[in-house]
Amino acid sequence: MSAYTTGDAVTVPQVPVGETFELVINWLRANLSALFDLIGEVIGTSVRTLSDFLSEPSATQLTLLGCAIIAVGLATRGRARAVTVAVAAYLALYLVEALTGVLASVIGSLPGGLFYWAMELFDAGYVFPPLVLTLVLLVALLSIAAQRQWAPAGVVALAWLLVLVGQHILGVQFELFAVLIFAALAILISGWRLAVFTVLGFLLIISMDRWLEAMSTLALVLVATGLAVAIAIPIGILAAYSNRVSAVLKPILDFMQTMPAFVYLIPAIAFFGVGQVPGVIATIVFAMPPGVRLTELGIRQVDQELVEAGEAFGAPNMQILRGIQLPLALTTIMAGINQVIMLSLSMVVIAGMVGAGGLGNVVYSGIARADVVLGFEGGVAVVILAIFLDRLTASVTRFSPAARAKRMTVG
Amino acid sequence: MTEEETVPAVRADRLYKVFGKEGPRAVDLLSDGRHRDEISELNVTAAVIDVTFDVEPGEIFVVMGLSGSGKSTLIRMLNGLLEPTSGVVEIDGTDITTLPSNQLRRLRSQHVSMVFQHFALFPHRTVLENAAYGLEVSKTPRAERREKAYHALGLVGLEGWENHVPEQLSGGMKQRVGLARALTAETDIILMDEAFSALDPLIRRDMQTQLLELQASLGKTVVFITHDLNEAMLLGDRICMLRDGRVAQIGTAEEILNAPADSYVANFVEDVDRSRVLTAASVMLPPSEGLDSSVAPVHPDTTLANLFHRASRSPAPLPVVDDSGRLVGELDGSALLAALAPNGGEAGGAGVSGTGTTVTAEPGRPVSKEGGRP
Repeated sequence: MSAYTTGDAVTVPQVPVGETFELVINWLRANLSALFDLIGEVIGTSVRTLSDFLSEPSATQLTLLGCAIIAVGLATRGRARAVTVAVAAYLALYLVEALTGVLASVIGSLPGGLFYWAMELFDAGYVFPPLVLTLVLLVALLSIAAQRQWAPAGVVALAWLLVLVGQHILGVQFELFAVLIFAALAILISGWRLAVFTVLGFLLIISMDRWLEAMSTLALVLVATGLAVAIAIPIGILAAYSNRVSAVLKPILDFMQTMPAFVYLIPAIAFFGVGQVPGVIATIVFAMPPGVRLTELGIRQVDQELVEAGEAFGAPNMQILRGIQLPLALTTIMAGINQVIMLSLSMVVIAGMVGAGGLGNVVYSGIARADVVLGFEGGVAVVILAIFLDRLTASVTRFSPAARAKRMTVG
Repeated sequence: MTEEETVPAVRADRLYKVFGKEGPRAVDLLSDGRHRDEISELNVTAAVIDVTFDVEPGEIFVVMGLSGSGKSTLIRMLNGLLEPTSGVVEIDGTDITTLPSNQLRRLRSQHVSMVFQHFALFPHRTVLENAAYGLEVSKTPRAERREKAYHALGLVGLEGWENHVPEQLSGGMKQRVGLARALTAETDIILMDEAFSALDPLIRRDMQTQLLELQASLGKTVVFITHDLNEAMLLGDRICMLRDGRVAQIGTAEEILNAPADSYVANFVEDVDRSRVLTAASVMLPPSEGLDSSVAPVHPDTTLANLFHRASRSPAPLPVVDDSGRLVGELDGSALLAALAPNGGEAGGAGVSGTGTTVTAEPGRPVSKEGGRP
């Protein structure tokens, strides 16, 4: 280069773009490391917990899942107060137990023969206090449901029992039950077509022996998507309300989306080390923009006369947002969330490069070793997950108030 | 209009709305009498210029004007959705232009509700939830607001549709929901922004009749915006004619028909079906001696359209007798016919045909402006 530089050539001064960026990162690392540690800890724990839960849930976690389904079902059917009381009592007891171990000593003082036989069901040789508490909660919720004669609670409880019996007494591996649970989700939200696909696709993942990696990836995608959506929707709402915010945001979102995704990994590693956390962070940055854009679009698209009607009847802005704008924008916002999930999945392989594990790791090893079998199987598993999540989130809009109203028109 | 003690339900005093950065300067120029097209160099849009009126409680006050005359802007200033550039709006004696936003919201939810041209029903809520919206905003208990919404939906004839969604309703029914939503809010004032303009003529007719019945039984104050003069004449106790943002004339339908303030108004009222507006009282002659008392009398409020048949059959003039049984006038076929001519009645033979009236003043701007506001 210097060979061509003559004395009178016009030289453009070098702007230290990259160096400045590095300085900023170093400054942040030096001054805000506690914050980043906290963020990293929270994200890491949630990914790990979710991933464990998806691949090999404990009896307590399974019981909690059953409780959660029944609690949500009851709460939406006008029993919110009773459910809140039960859950609050559970949390209080749980806290007391964690702090004092009262329950453990009570159980310890009782003759063991009373319940050791029952522990077979939960594959435990000893009595685990949190499990006992959760079982009590389940019984409490079931009795509330019985009052209401809400049959699905019984179905959930039966399914829960079957899973435990199958897993710990008959010795069926949990993967097969998980497939059934995913298929049930597919039937409830989308329909039988997706359920059939789910059973076949997930069985294929099991037969390729990629179940653990797939669940780890699913956990990573779910955590990243959840965080990205939690950040994107408020920003999108702000952008819909203010033209100035929208104008400032547009180039930033463009930047976030077009910057090669690999680049995010470098500072992410600097802040959080290798592992799942930088993978999640890079995924959030890369996948968030459509969530913001479509939230803004959805809210701006709501008929201005409806907003005016809300104002004309004296509704405060917050009530107009909650009661009019968000419900009517929900379909568009869900399309944005769907896009966020798809982009998150596309980041999985890249995240695998920084040790995020899961299917990304499988594919990346396939590349590194030029192993076609490994790479292709990992890729197929990603595709199955992608189709499952895509169809599932696309169907969620069926439950939006606007879509329900439209169905009433047809029916 | 002469009761001086009562506070007007709505009062607009020298109201201006000028969109654009130079609003205040434009107001100065406009208040000197300039036309809004003469201040185009300020790059502003003058929508409402120097509008002053009072609406009495229980009155239907119609604001009538063509598109672009500023009527939608005007109505949105009456409930504070738009802030006036200058001037005062009073609701039940309270100046709303200076209210902070939370008090303004409370005033809207308690005193002023609104019916929209394109209904503005919430598509994701049932008819009942739509009707109950105003009370939901004012945090009325659920059971009470449901009961009141049921009642209002019954008043507008929508029993049995409570659990449908707006999509399932026809245009006329949607606007009934809009009306029920305004009634449920239990405000004393209802603003109606071209409420019936999007409806089919037959349904519009139904709705107009229903509005008159409801107003007669509930005594709400209604400010009604329309571009349809026949509608204005039918509904309005008084009519405010807007032209290019300014008031051209305020008066009862008969005053506007019989004494248009300028050639613009005169041109406008030319095509009105006068027989549906004018009443026996406004065209009758003083009772003459020896009126045939065997002819069945008519009421002074009967519109001419309902008199033609009888006048043509009756050989003698029809006696006009008021509620107390007093003979107040008489009517014959020739009086009826004379009243139908534009500017007929007291104007004698001044304007026999439509073209005749426009000769005196071309509808060009300078002439009518001078005629409009002296």
